[in-house]
Amino acid sequence: MTFEEAVKRLEEIVKELESDDLTLEKSLALFEEGVALSKTCQELLEGAEGAIEKLAGGRVEPFEETEGEA
Amino acid sequence: MAVLSVSELNRTVRLILESDPLLQEVAVRGELSNVHLHSSGHVYFSLRDERASVRAVMFRSRAEHLAFRPENGQDVLCQGRVSLFERDGAYQIYVDTMEPAGVGAQYLALVQLRERLEKEGLFAAERKRALPLLPHRIGVVTSPTGAAVRDIITVARRRHPGVSLLIAPVLVQGAGAPDSIVGALGELAQRDDIDLVIIGRGGGSKEDLGAFNDERVVRAVATFPVPTVAAVGHEVDLTLVDFAADRRAATPSAAAELAVPVTRELLTQVGALAGALLRSERLRILRRREALLALTNRRVFLRPMTLIEPHQALLARLEEAMSRAAVERLLTTKGHVLAVIGRLEGLSPLATLRRGYAIVEVGGRPARRARDLGIGQRVRTTLAEGTFGSVVEDVQE
Repeated sequence: MTFEEAVKRLEEIVKELESDDLTLEKSLALFEEGVALSKTCQELLEGAEGAIEKLAGGRVEPFEETEGEA
Repeated sequence: MAVLSVSELNRTVRLILESDPLLQEVAVRGELSNVHLHSSGHVYFSLRDERASVRAVMFRSRAEHLAFRPENGQDVLCQGRVSLFERDGAYQIYVDTMEPAGVGAQYLALVQLRERLEKEGLFAAERKRALPLLPHRIGVVTSPTGAAVRDIITVARRRHPGVSLLIAPVLVQGAGAPDSIVGALGELAQRDDIDLVIIGRGGGSKEDLGAFNDERVVRAVATFPVPTVAAVGHEVDLTLVDFAADRRAATPSAAAELAVPVTRELLTQVGALAGALLRSERLRILRRREALLALTNRRVFLRPMTLIEPHQALLARLEEAMSRAAVERLLTTKGHVLAVIGRLEGLSPLATLRRGYAIVEVGGRPARRARDLGIGQRVRTTLAEGTFGSVVEDVQE
């Protein structure tokens, strides 16, 4: 799931939860989904440091940042 | 004979020059020299041939429409008007348009290619795609050496440390450049883990931009499967790749800024949504609780368990959600999200348990329906403080 999709779904859930005609079961399911989505979003934003790599003859290799200084 | 001041003399000569219709619409061909691209955007230069030279100026309002970067030695055709700069007593050409004359055929071919691709709709505004809000992995098509790639890495990481970059090293100038760039784009296009591509070249004003006007390169950019950001041209020398890309930036750093959001800002947005989520759910639970209290106060219900049961299920499921490592982590991380997510604690089932509710578990799972229980089955009941085991004696559905 992309960040956009997660945020969009989260927005839908908040909107749905704010409406009155929801069963308890349904609202709880939505709430749980929302909590999970918040977590997904947060992980995407604060996740591990990304890799800097390069294509080398069809393979992917680490890109040494000193390479850029040549 | 009347004695004139210098100012009067210069003004008189200027007026004479400006009153000559021939001089007010001239086309002059010559070689550029003393080119000075002023920070104001005005371009100052001389035009010369073997025997003579004349000063010229192109003001920003005109210069910003230049399709190329003027450089010393270029053979150009200028159109404009002749006047005198009174302060220096120097006559000069005020240039409206300037085209390369020496590379006439090549320039014409470029103009024609641009018109053809434009007609085809390759540069159309409705083709432009929005960039992903939070790119996961960005392909970077540029020279692996030089400032461009370094700037992109630095800026992208500073804005979003989680972003991954996949650099596709290419030749950005010379005869082999178009093949090299088309090949790299083709390789990136086949991957499914790239959600954005930056195509750029290093700094330096003398670089040959030919590769970024090559039809195959332009088409590869225009039809690339994911959004593209070009960081090829500068203010005055846009290339066709700049037109073909979904967005263009003046520098590689600016391209990285366009491509990568500042995660702090997005965290705030997510935090606000999480806050709204909690508020709505808490409100709902309060409403349910009031409804339940209203019922219990009437003392008319025959089977109290059927009324309480859904709420026990609610508690159980809330606790389940709360105890997940996911939520735990959410609660213990820093930042905006934490502040809002922290309100989850207000929803803690423990708070509810303290009011006298209990959670019944069978085999480690919360019991939701009485009919799922068997007589003689062992169940565990959690109170606000401590738990106890018991055996089911009877079941009423």
